[in-house]
Amino acid sequence: MVHTDGLSLKKKTSRIKKVLSSDNVDPAKLKEFAISRGGLLNDEIRKQAWPKLLNVNVDDIPKKPDAEVLKGHRDYNQVVLDVNRTLKRFPPVDLIMRVLVNRPELHYYQGYHDICVTFLLVVGEDLAFALVDTLSLNHLRDFMDSNMDRTKHMLNYLYPIIVGTVFCLSWLITWYGHVLNDLRHIVRLYDFFIACHPLMPIYLAAAIVLYREEEILSNECEMCVLHGLLSKIPDNLPFEQLISKAGDLFLQYPPPDLANEAVLTFRKKRYGLDTLQIP
Amino acid sequence: MAAGPYNYSYIFKYIIIGDMGVGKSCLLHQFTEKKFMADCPHTIGVEFGTRIIEVSGQKIKLQIWDTAGQERFRAVTRSYYRGAAGALMVYDITRRSTYNHLSSWLTDARNLTNPNTVIFLIGNKSDLEAQRDVTYEEAKQFADENECSAKTGDNVEDAFLDTAKKIYQNIQDGSLDLNAAESGVQHKPATPRNPLNTDQTPSKEGCAC
Repeated sequence: MVHTDGLSLKKKTSRIKKVLSSDNVDPAKLKEFAISRGGLLNDEIRKQAWPKLLNVNVDDIPKKPDAEVLKGHRDYNQVVLDVNRTLKRFPPVDLIMRVLVNRPELHYYQGYHDICVTFLLVVGEDLAFALVDTLSLNHLRDFMDSNMDRTKHMLNYLYPIIVGTVFCLSWLITWYGHVLNDLRHIVRLYDFFIACHPLMPIYLAAAIVLYREEEILSNECEMCVLHGLLSKIPDNLPFEQLISKAGDLFLQYPPPDLANEAVLTFRKKRYGLDTLQIP
Repeated sequence: MAAGPYNYSYIFKYIIIGDMGVGKSCLLHQFTEKKFMADCPHTIGVEFGTRIIEVSGQKIKLQIWDTAGQERFRAVTRSYYRGAAGALMVYDITRRSTYNHLSSWLTDARNLTNPNTVIFLIGNKSDLEAQRDVTYEEAKQFADENECSAKTGDNVEDAFLDTAKKIYQNIQDGSLDLNAAESGVQHKPATPRNPLNTDQTPSKEGCAC
């Protein structure tokens, strides 16, 4: 299998391994691998590369607190309830509680466990804790406020590109873990997101909508029909192509440009000037 | 959207609200697919379902918005209450806390919908009789006080249909004005007329949302 950047799978694997085995791992190089075709390729590599990308020291992971401490947290019951519904085989309850106990200022949201379970499956609980703990202070931080104001604001970034945004709320706050069925697709996207700006899931959303443009426009122009169509992601999307498109959009419309548009959108909504309102 | 005959005469917009884990999405799934979804994932934001039913010989399309239950999502879901003709307010008969929170859901529903919106109370999970935490009588009293109708979850079909009957009745006796903005009902005569929600500028000709 030949990749667009000219690297075969085998070559890419050996190059990543070479970078990982050096004493001073170059994060920029790793980022390149995480973004380029195929991402970090397999879970064995991910176990080593994700911590490096997030600057996590794997030899210094805090000990797991006692069960009583985890159970004593304000969100424990809700986490158990959420997790038991869908993730009976790999319950990330302890993982989630470890982060929440460690970071009392962070608030649990429904969807957080979709992210946690992916890390649990790929790297195991201890390392997953260290990675998710770091992500929660960075990429996921805005989702973990006591309210959703900043999350809603992030959705406004999509307005300049298309209309209506709630359909992709779950894409953003679960990094697509809630809506994709195939774990291989999910971890590939996680390679990409870990290596990129926190708004990259929004750019991917735009890339997905643009890719499906024809299909979407050929449907009834009815908010509910569109919502149903948009919110369901087909399983067979060409994710490599979409990742590359998202990267292009990011360069073409960098976050500062969109931030201005997002403020305008917010004002429009606030003063009722929005052209397409939720029914 | 603008062209073609409709195989239904009305569209009723519904919302389903209530605490997380009470079974809102399962009710919707049961109603639209006639199947129980055992491993029902939580809803993030809103989801949507539709089914055509018949009331008094009229075909009615129900557009049902299923909302996320977690408190923090209310900031997003509240904007979907507007223009609902029916609201199904759901609690879990095995968890009293979900019943205790009903007044807050009702406040939201009353404040964000119109006075004619039909609000139905549904106690779900009636199959778990042994774990019952809220009696039917108690809920019935609450519903009467608040002009809702209590319904145990095993009659899912009835909950959706009775709500539609009540809405239809309101149309028939004139208490629900179809021309009012945000009535949550669209009439679909043979020749479609302008959408009812005239406060919106459709992005395309004939957009009926």
